[in-house]
Amino acid sequence: MTEITKKITITDSEIVKLTEPGNYLIELTKPEATAEIFGSFSVSGEERAKIIVTIHHKAPQTLAKTNLRGVARDKAHLSFSGKIIIDEHCGSTNSFLTERILLLSDTATAEAIPDLEILSDDVKCSHAASVSSIPAEQLFYLMSRGISKAEAEKLIVAGFLRLD
Amino acid sequence: MARFAQKKTSDFDTKGTDSYEHGFSYSTKDYRYITKPGLSQKVVEEISHIKEEPSWMLELRLKALKQFEAASMPKWGADLSGIDFEAIHYYLQPTDKQVSSWDDVPADVKLTFDRLGIPEAERGVLAGVKAQYDSEVVYGSLKEAFSKDGVIFLSMDEGLKQYPELVKEHFGSIIPSGDNKFSALNTAAWSGGSFVYIPKGVDVKMPLQTYFRINSPNAGQFERTLIIVDEGAKIHYVEGCTAPSFSSGSLHSAVVEIILKKGARCQYTTIQNWYKNVYNLVTKRAYVGEEAEMIWTDFNMGSKVTMKYPSFILAGKGARGETLSMALASAGQHQDTGSKAIHLAPYTSSTIVSKSISKDGGRTSYRGLVNVGPHATNSQNTVICDALLLDSISRSDTYPVDRVFNSQVAVQHEATVSKIGDDQLFYLMSRGISEEDARKMIVRGFIGDLIKKLPLEYAVEMNRLIDHEMEGSIG
Repeated sequence: MTEITKKITITDSEIVKLTEPGNYLIELTKPEATAEIFGSFSVSGEERAKIIVTIHHKAPQTLAKTNLRGVARDKAHLSFSGKIIIDEHCGSTNSFLTERILLLSDTATAEAIPDLEILSDDVKCSHAASVSSIPAEQLFYLMSRGISKAEAEKLIVAGFLRLD
Repeated sequence: MARFAQKKTSDFDTKGTDSYEHGFSYSTKDYRYITKPGLSQKVVEEISHIKEEPSWMLELRLKALKQFEAASMPKWGADLSGIDFEAIHYYLQPTDKQVSSWDDVPADVKLTFDRLGIPEAERGVLAGVKAQYDSEVVYGSLKEAFSKDGVIFLSMDEGLKQYPELVKEHFGSIIPSGDNKFSALNTAAWSGGSFVYIPKGVDVKMPLQTYFRINSPNAGQFERTLIIVDEGAKIHYVEGCTAPSFSSGSLHSAVVEIILKKGARCQYTTIQNWYKNVYNLVTKRAYVGEEAEMIWTDFNMGSKVTMKYPSFILAGKGARGETLSMALASAGQHQDTGSKAIHLAPYTSSTIVSKSISKDGGRTSYRGLVNVGPHATNSQNTVICDALLLDSISRSDTYPVDRVFNSQVAVQHEATVSKIGDDQLFYLMSRGISEEDARKMIVRGFIGDLIKKLPLEYAVEMNRLIDHEMEGSIG
């Protein structure tokens, strides 16, 4: 495990935006704390980027929504590693983690690791991950409306990476 | 077939005070052979000598023994510190030969399998049966209709004697002895297991079943199974496992290799219900050829620790793999299960569905790997793992890894963890259903998709077994 580059403690309600690769630890320490975490990454050339996000629920009635998006071009490698930890006696906690990666070239590679460690029962928790190229039907939809393939790709990627 | 049902206890001495219903055992004093505890070169040579094996097998065993000794224990996964390799008997031979008539099975062994309902099941719904008691297969049969078609269903030891070339070619080709510490251990000390060959185009419509039973305390069971399904053939193989309730732990470490040639189909179903002191560390892998299909249905509810990740290597164009995994962990248990999908060829697809239930402080983990190689273009993978926590002292983890090395793929992963919702309970209870029944209904609904994939008789028994486990778990 690489060293933690940034630790964020959330006691109230916060929106966190991540744009730099690194190892982030996000702790929810007070009851009713909520966090919305967005990450958006784009890699190209020979770049290798690794993003580790740990969401640690240390208090009951906390809520976290984590959404990581990434695009890899050329020979780049993109790795998302997200982890939700819910401690004991942290009931009524909800935590959701999404990791989505688009691969825009045949030589780009990706890794998605969404972990869960749940030690309380009264929780709702889910994670989802996907890795794919741009779906052909999305391209077709735009191209059938007179947009060139390159332009259509650009639009889809821009929409995909938008943080909101 | 009442294998999982409540049994009448007449004058047998049923050990253990918990609700485990297969906890009885019989004396080992009439055993033909038991090695001293511990594993050494001498023990391995002894096993090989008793089995009158060809020299290449002994060499393979000795090489594996060195690999086992050199390998360190896995640093991930479940806690294995309770295994005392020195205390385990590595080879226990209950009788000197395998018989094909039920009447010839020694009385104790027969009683055991009668109580587990094996012969009844064979008459009814199975194409063939093997029963393994500690280290050796003691009983085997195959319906004539299938043997006439060229189906081979033998114990691994017989397979080695009768088809040495076939065994030599494929033994360890999918899971080499050095794959991990426990595959090395199995290769060094293997005994029993099944050897199955289904010839080209033969569709075996009834399942083949092997039944594994550990009878002795501190026993190690290391069965070795090799299944070869030739082009266009189909087979459903079922294994069941139980053990008596001893206070000291036993070790079960199997290796299962499956080879599917072009267009073949294999479903491998495991119903694992070891007693809660057995370490169950199993390596299972299938090599899936062009247009072939491999389905693992894996039900784990017994044992102290299970670490098992049935995998498939999708090596041929259009190969398909599917894993349906269910785990139930209660007090003192850790079910560390999952599946691995290795996509190597184009147009391959795989699905992994895992459902786990933790109760009374039990712990379930899903651990999985999806690897899509650079040549596996136009491949698809979907992983779904759902966990249900029944109380606040239980634990559930999910550790998936998705690695993708080409862009023409669709890889998806989804997981949820939840408890039985108060709103769900309220809905059912407001309709006059008691809380316990309501809980059972919800759990049954939760795993319903997987139960459907089992042959009917097993599905009925599985539902009953889960109800039995859920009894009194209101909390």
